[in-house]
Amino acid sequence: MIRRWISPLKDLGVQLLSLYLLIIIPALMILFAFDKLAGQRIQADVRANDLSLARTIALETDLSINKSLQAVDALSLYPSVLTSNPEKMGKIFNIFLQTRPDVNLIYRLGANGIMLYHYPIGPSSTVGNDFSFRDYYQNALTSKKALVSKGRISPTTNQAVATAVMPIWDGNHFLGIIATNIKLVSLSETLGEIVASRRPEEGFEIVILDSSAQIIAHPDSHFLLENAQSILPAVYAPALAGESGTQIKNNAEGEERLYTYTPIPSAGWGVIVSRPTETAFATQITIHRITLIVSATFIIFGLLVWILLSRRVIMPIERLSSLSYAIGSEQGISAEERAQVKSISNRPDQIGHLIRSILRMEESIATRINEQKTLLETSKAVVSTLDPQVVLDRILEQVQKLFDVNMCAIVTLDETRNAFRIRASLGLSKEYAAQLIIQPTDPNSISMRALNTMQPVQISDTINDASFASRLPLAEREGYRSLIAVPLKTQHTPRAALLVFRPDPHIFTRNEIQLLVNFANHVTMAIENATLYSRSDMRLQEQTHRIESLVHSLSDGLILSALEGGVIYANRRIGELASLNPEELIHTSVENILNRILLNTPNREEIHKKIENALSGKEERDINFPVISFSGRIYLRLQVFDVTDTNGKAIGRGLIFRDITADQEVDRMKSSLISTVSHELRTPLASIKGYATTLLADDVEWDETSQHEFLTIISDEADRLSALVDNLLDLSRIESGNLNISRIECTVEDLIQRAAKRARLQEGNKLEVALNPNLPTLYADPPRLKTVLRNLLENAVKYAGDKAIIRVEVLCENDNFIFRVKDNGPGIPLEESGRIFQSFYRVDTSLARIASGAGLGLAICQGLVQAHGGEIWTEPQQKGACIAFSIPVTQMGNENEE
Amino acid sequence: MSSNSPTVLVVDDEKPLRDFVRRNLEIRNFNVETASNGLEALAIFNTYHIDLVILDIMMPHLDGLETTRRIRQTSLVPIIILTALGEESDKVHAFDMGADDYLTKPFGTGELLSRVKAVLRRARWSEFPAINEQITREEIVADLERHEINVRGTLLNLTPTEFNLLVYMMRHAGKALSHRLILQNVWGPEYGEEAEYLRVYMGKLRQKIEKDPLKPEYLLTERGIGYRFKG
Repeated sequence: MIRRWISPLKDLGVQLLSLYLLIIIPALMILFAFDKLAGQRIQADVRANDLSLARTIALETDLSINKSLQAVDALSLYPSVLTSNPEKMGKIFNIFLQTRPDVNLIYRLGANGIMLYHYPIGPSSTVGNDFSFRDYYQNALTSKKALVSKGRISPTTNQAVATAVMPIWDGNHFLGIIATNIKLVSLSETLGEIVASRRPEEGFEIVILDSSAQIIAHPDSHFLLENAQSILPAVYAPALAGESGTQIKNNAEGEERLYTYTPIPSAGWGVIVSRPTETAFATQITIHRITLIVSATFIIFGLLVWILLSRRVIMPIERLSSLSYAIGSEQGISAEERAQVKSISNRPDQIGHLIRSILRMEESIATRINEQKTLLETSKAVVSTLDPQVVLDRILEQVQKLFDVNMCAIVTLDETRNAFRIRASLGLSKEYAAQLIIQPTDPNSISMRALNTMQPVQISDTINDASFASRLPLAEREGYRSLIAVPLKTQHTPRAALLVFRPDPHIFTRNEIQLLVNFANHVTMAIENATLYSRSDMRLQEQTHRIESLVHSLSDGLILSALEGGVIYANRRIGELASLNPEELIHTSVENILNRILLNTPNREEIHKKIENALSGKEERDINFPVISFSGRIYLRLQVFDVTDTNGKAIGRGLIFRDITADQEVDRMKSSLISTVSHELRTPLASIKGYATTLLADDVEWDETSQHEFLTIISDEADRLSALVDNLLDLSRIESGNLNISRIECTVEDLIQRAAKRARLQEGNKLEVALNPNLPTLYADPPRLKTVLRNLLENAVKYAGDKAIIRVEVLCENDNFIFRVKDNGPGIPLEESGRIFQSFYRVDTSLARIASGAGLGLAICQGLVQAHGGEIWTEPQQKGACIAFSIPVTQMGNENEE
Repeated sequence: MSSNSPTVLVVDDEKPLRDFVRRNLEIRNFNVETASNGLEALAIFNTYHIDLVILDIMMPHLDGLETTRRIRQTSLVPIIILTALGEESDKVHAFDMGADDYLTKPFGTGELLSRVKAVLRRARWSEFPAINEQITREEIVADLERHEINVRGTLLNLTPTEFNLLVYMMRHAGKALSHRLILQNVWGPEYGEEAEYLRVYMGKLRQKIEKDPLKPEYLLTERGIGYRFKG
């Protein structure tokens, strides 16, 4: 038996014992206190009682002695006594003796101690005997008062006596004494009476001692005149010294007695009263015994109750507790333990009842645990994978084990066909599994019935079931006689049912069905888990993939690095910039990537330093720098940012490299625009101002021809200025997309000539125009087309020089007019030919090669040609430049397009 | 045209402007040669005796700045630059290349003639020094007769304007001279506002005479006033 250790303080037995002691100890204490107090009181009473007895005896004796003393005192005054007249003394003494039965002799001693006379005279007269040796005689010689002698045997009466003595003095002349012998026997008789009045078992002993500690009175006269030591322990000394009190002593026989003593003052004697303590304190002893008996009774009773309680209640409870502890634990309940508990369970009382009900409970719990364990094992096996098909297969394996069947299957709704099919099976033939198709509307299908009612449906014998008749041949071929369908309560997956087949006719019991339903719930959970997981996993992967592709294909380079500089992620653009393949990107450091990007950069050290500062967060985190890549010089802007967690703590760094070459180009173009426009506008202005001031100069008189010439130039230059402004406006329209083309019929030859006129051809220039015959009619916007031609001619003059031969060819190909403007100048470098049509782009920015207006001119040409629906391009030729453009052949009516 | 008259070479790719300059100079008794680009200008310069070159900066084939640089390699002839760009940096660039003065387009006849005269006058002063004397300021010796400057034993090659400016500053050593005063005395009475000329020329002179041009010992800047030669 496993006895769990319980701290003694918490043990029920100890607790009960403590409670009992708690009640009993005060009671016992009170009892003992009472016993003690009562004992003391009783003892005090007994002692007081004995003392008063002793005192009474002492008083009585004292009285008797006093009387004797008074009597001798009185007798001493008789003249006959003085004179020792025997006859007269005889009479007096006779009378005296008559009144005093306690006195047995009265006598007169002479001054010399000789017995002069005694009464009664008796047979053995001592008259004439010398008694001067007697202590009382000796004492009387020095005393004038009456006195008492010690006890002794009177030779005269031969009895134990004590003598009352009166010395007789005549003045100072000692005449002898008169004395009476007090019978000690009579004293003893008094004591005997007192003792007799007591109960004999009280064991009273009363003794009177004389001053020399002789016993002079004792209930038993045998003890008379014996020394007190013979019967008493040393308790009498205080009494003879005049004190009274009590003492407990053992007597000669070893008996414990209470001795009470008190003095008899007139004689210097003492009274000793004694009795055994056993009788003296009998009450107290009785009370004490009762106390002890009661205590013992309580203790024994308590012990008995406790033992009873332990054996009958606590022990069974402990058994019970270890039993209930064992229920469901790994070890289970041992046979020995079970036997012990079983014996207790036979008891008819509440404990027995409790044990019986717990045993029943244990049994049912064990059954349930077993069931759950089985289910748990099966579902553990089932959920150990998330692949839906594997899950189904495992489920069926578990069904085989759990229900000890060979054939089972799961049917699910095939959503594409809207029919139920076997999704997974065990023990069924492949043909059966493939052929079985259940229409959702089939009323005879057991699966459908189960799914529609959401309750298990069974056929206990296929041969006898009418609804199964149509499927009987199939069932016979597969070899099953009974089957059950359990619906799966699916929510997120298609409807499904679990089928279990048996080869024999079988009625599935309630327990079997319950177990199947429970199992089906586990199965549902597993199927749904697997399906949902595969769905969400797919979605997550898709999303991650999408974000990754997005970041990956950003035109900006992105690096995410750990704080210590290792690259966590770098996108494709970084790979391009650093010439690293994706593999290399993963296993590298930011430092390495930077070094590779900056490989051919001018001022490499300086830029590297700046980037390092930005990375350490010291300086501005935006840095622009040029790098030389395989596609030429590009400008990058590096932005460094901290990647922080939700608490704002930096966990890494991000670096974004943005290609700002185009932005830089735009900036360059903008400043180029300003300087170009400034130059373009100032050139004609310079001529205008120059000639105007020339005409205005006071110191020179110009002839009329010159004046006219100057004014003409002023006018021409003003036209040029205005054309330039028109060009700028056109350009801005082209750039903003607001250019309107209005096509009308034009003559090509006329257009060329008019453009040439405005193109300021130099005297040395030669213009050749070659028109293809049979040109169709050209519909175009004449001012715009003229501008195109004029710009091209001007460019030819500018680049080819004053002596240039300029040739304009026009032909028609594929419904397009093709215009070619050729010169015999230096030509256009091949690598520049693509860019010359960009606004403000001029071949080589060095001023030496710049001809005014070219930067705008070609861009304007391109805009205007494109507005006509045509294209402009350069054509390489052996010497000089050739720029060509096309204008589509259109019919009237197709015009007015934007 | 008188053979005593100075010959001016006018170079501009814009014919109207070229003609405007030519006509105005010719009518005022200058001999004028014209060219439409830098290469042409160099050819003419090497052929004729030219007293003054007026040169446009923006020209095809060989621009004005490069032409100036090439002329300066062989000659100290005064050069006036014509430019459409009013930017400070262009002026500085032109002076760096050795130009003596410049005119910003558009300009009038008056401006043209006064600049031409002033530049020619400065050139003449250098050619015909009034006094035969030597000025010595510590390590710098100016020989006015020979038109030579010797610094720490090294003979310097200075343009007339540079020479005149340095001599003027050395003559007035120790005195703070205002921009206007320097300009009017060195460039001519027509000048006075062109403080940037001084900035450029002082820079060039410091490059030539100072041990450390960034910490000049001789040509000192008087902030807000002008310059002073150490004395």
